[in-house]
Amino acid sequence: MKDFNVLVVDDEDEFREMTSKILTKRGLHVQSAESGEKALEILQHSRTDVVLLDVKMPGMDGIETLRQIRSIKPLVEVVLLTGHASVESGIEGMKLGAFDYLMKPIETDPLLEKLTEAYEKKRLHQEKIDQALMKKHMSMPV
Amino acid sequence: MHRIFAAIKQTLFPESKSSASPEELRIAFAKRYTHFRSLLTANNNALQAMAELEKVYYSGESYRMAFVRSKISTILINVYKMIRNILAMSDGKYKELEPIFDKISNDISEIVERKRNFQQGPFILELNEVRRKDKDEAGEKMANLGELAALPGIMVPPGFVVTASATRHFLTPDHIAEINRLLQVLDPDNLDDLYSACEKMQNIVMNTPLPPDLEESLHLHVNRLEAGSHPGCKVALRSSAQGEDTAGVSFAGLYSTFLDIDKSMISESYKKVIASKYGPRAIAYRRKRGYRHEDIEMCVGCLLMVDALVSGVVYSRDPEEENSAVMRINATSGIARGVVDGTTVTDLYLVSRTQPFSVVYREMRQGRGTGREHAADTGSLTVKQIQRLAETALQLESHFGQAQDIEWSFDRQGDLYILQSRPIPASRKEPAQNAVEATGPSETAEPPFLTGGICASGGIASGEVFLVDSEEQIQKFPKGGVLVIRHPLPEWAPLLGRAAAVIAENGSEAGHLATVSREFGIPALFSLDGAMKVLVNGQTITINSSARAVYKGRREDLLRLNIVKRDIMAGSPVQRIVTESLQYITPLNLNDPASTHFKSTWCETLHDITRFCHEKSVSEMFNYGKEHHFDKGAAKRLVGDVPLEWWVIDLADGFRPGLDSKDKSVRVEDIVSVPMQAIWHGISAFPWEGPPPISARGFGSIIFQSTMRPDLDPSVASGLTTKNYFLVSQNFCNLSVRLGYHYAMIEAYLSDLLTESYVTFRFKGGAADMRRKAVRARLLADILKRYDFRVELRSDALLARIKKQPVEYLEQRLQILGYLITHARQLDMVMNQPEAVEQYRNKFIQDIDEMLSRKSTLTIEEPSHG
Repeated sequence: MKDFNVLVVDDEDEFREMTSKILTKRGLHVQSAESGEKALEILQHSRTDVVLLDVKMPGMDGIETLRQIRSIKPLVEVVLLTGHASVESGIEGMKLGAFDYLMKPIETDPLLEKLTEAYEKKRLHQEKIDQALMKKHMSMPV
Repeated sequence: MHRIFAAIKQTLFPESKSSASPEELRIAFAKRYTHFRSLLTANNNALQAMAELEKVYYSGESYRMAFVRSKISTILINVYKMIRNILAMSDGKYKELEPIFDKISNDISEIVERKRNFQQGPFILELNEVRRKDKDEAGEKMANLGELAALPGIMVPPGFVVTASATRHFLTPDHIAEINRLLQVLDPDNLDDLYSACEKMQNIVMNTPLPPDLEESLHLHVNRLEAGSHPGCKVALRSSAQGEDTAGVSFAGLYSTFLDIDKSMISESYKKVIASKYGPRAIAYRRKRGYRHEDIEMCVGCLLMVDALVSGVVYSRDPEEENSAVMRINATSGIARGVVDGTTVTDLYLVSRTQPFSVVYREMRQGRGTGREHAADTGSLTVKQIQRLAETALQLESHFGQAQDIEWSFDRQGDLYILQSRPIPASRKEPAQNAVEATGPSETAEPPFLTGGICASGGIASGEVFLVDSEEQIQKFPKGGVLVIRHPLPEWAPLLGRAAAVIAENGSEAGHLATVSREFGIPALFSLDGAMKVLVNGQTITINSSARAVYKGRREDLLRLNIVKRDIMAGSPVQRIVTESLQYITPLNLNDPASTHFKSTWCETLHDITRFCHEKSVSEMFNYGKEHHFDKGAAKRLVGDVPLEWWVIDLADGFRPGLDSKDKSVRVEDIVSVPMQAIWHGISAFPWEGPPPISARGFGSIIFQSTMRPDLDPSVASGLTTKNYFLVSQNFCNLSVRLGYHYAMIEAYLSDLLTESYVTFRFKGGAADMRRKAVRARLLADILKRYDFRVELRSDALLARIKKQPVEYLEQRLQILGYLITHARQLDMVMNQPEAVEQYRNKFIQDIDEMLSRKSTLTIEEPSHG
């Protein structure tokens, strides 16, 4: 298991704490936020790779949070948690570029698998960008 | 010469604008392959969710809105993913799918998210002003009570109703949202979870102060009630939920009623009634019956207490029998609480439905076992009271047009008060008792080991005994068990969803648990003496409650007599949502890919879209070999004891991990492509016997063609004749082969998911004139059909396909193709000799059958080379 940085965003304390505990146990670096606002704040100064984001939250909801994550941290992958939210919000999330979605209640293994896939995508994306940058630097006249 | 070759090549492998390098090709393939896989996964997820939704919908069993929502979300999201993938695979060819999908998903979303429109009204209505039409504000129970209060000769206690508008004023959208959230994360089968979530929800209600205007209004009305009665009078606060007590859905005893409430406790008690909407029983019941909590709002009736001498319940018809000629009265001294709770033993009277309402049967159970014997002909009711009850019951039945379940009290002045009247759920069973008596258990069968008691809900069921006498044991109750309890308390109701039957040592047919058992269609046998002592945990029994008998073991002879349970969700809001949504989800209009209607614009449902995307994705993959050309420079040569030249290009994960990527060659055993291994197995299964003797004419023809096309001369090693390319990944293989004089292409994708697996074979060309080519193609077609390929033949061009079959089966088909491409060239020389053709056909079939019977050689191992 590769270790990477996950941010769990859910207003429901029990779920957030439980999930964070489980993911930490499985070797991930986990941070958590109880609101969209808090999540954006954490993202500003952290090396988050993947966000696990509940769609239905009071205040800034998951979809709005996703929209903002896409604009401030376009490389960060977002896995949505849905099921209770309106059926349309899932589609909206996918259209906004969420990596994938999961239905609550979730089991550990599929969750871990999805987060790892999301991280893998982010890593490849990052690698490509790094390579392109390197190429650009190499080709620059000294 | 080149033109002829180019033409053939164009037919089989139409060239894209430019030749791609292997690296580009690999990237392009890997991309398409990823999209294909992800489309197929989404397809399976969508179809799976559709199947699950349909399954529960047609099962007649209960399902929750959260389940519906989650399945519909899953379907929508996966169909959306399919569209995204097919667009990526086809460079946006099917763009019009997007608006079609958007429209369907909007329509579905409107159905699922539909909200009720509420009219805000007064917080309080006087009971004597309330009628049936006010049920949205007063709740079913109080609307009925107000209605019957207006009937001549009927008395109800004075009182008022705190309306649904008041409830909405008390519990704001924020409270509701919080409660909704708790409900949604709740696992209904986990009773621990259920109880703790209910406590949280009820705390939300209890900890919210009443809005001052509502509280003031409430006290004002209680004071008015007191002024009309006597100082210090007590009231009853009764739940009156919307949708409660409608036919078939009783919600019996789910919500709280509080008796003898002092006016100082009125606000607190009001909140308690509202909170009872979130009790474990109520939640379990609503879920079971397909009501969301927002479908039902709680109203509260506040009635003056009746100083009751004797109370009880009357069923205007026996609830167990459709056309019963008797009504059933259960009575007890004091207030009626114990009757409906199932805690009090009651006297039972069966009374004729016609004047003069004579008692046809009585069971004086009160005082039974207490040592206090009643005189045989007294009991709790007088003849006059019985007649008065019977008349009233018929009056109410005729007013509401339906048999009624009526709660009543006689006060000390002898006046009859009606406290509640609701329709009796229509009997859902043929009288099972008659069925049993008609056929009877077979004579040799063992007789029941326990008999007697009161049939509270008729029916036959079998299961393992589970004794419950404490709350802790609730958690352990197994699905399909027979619940055995001392008292049929309403508290056990959440277990009825999982129980096969209920047996209780006490109680009667008039209790809440009896009502709920009848509603769920499970047998209930109450007041069965000694049940807790005689029955043992884990023991399998069969209970026939109608015949008041319990048998040892599972008695199929009895179970066969049972009539199926009815659809527990029938007519519920949740079922309506699924019915409407399914219209946009499951019907399939796009059946035939060959039809002119097989177009994206004909997609009307999500199922249509999945079908369309799936078909198109497969053809996009089929076309892969046709549309892509590759530079042969960097392919790896297959080394080892292999005939001819074979080159392999790894597209994704076709080579054993850890192989040196710079190596210019690769060994067969280093290839982990399942389809390629199967083809290779076919190629190498039998040694190639070399060209047969050529007839003079055949030889002449070959010579002639060879002079026309030097690159077809077998003696000239050209790129065309000697290099055969495998494009591989673990599950995919595309083989372009030019063995001898013919072109063949085999392409396969093997997967455990049947829907995504396919094998295709194209064959064309070869030395020999047109007539002989056609003969050969026809021979191949014959053989392929024999092995279940679907074959299209146009002159000498052959296309054979097979899909949606298990991997092992497709591997065998690939072996057959491998065999045929290797050996078909022997036909070239003999095509004008019919008997030789026949001979070859027989030999081919014989070889293939032999090859397929060598089962064990299927695995990846060093193939025997010919």
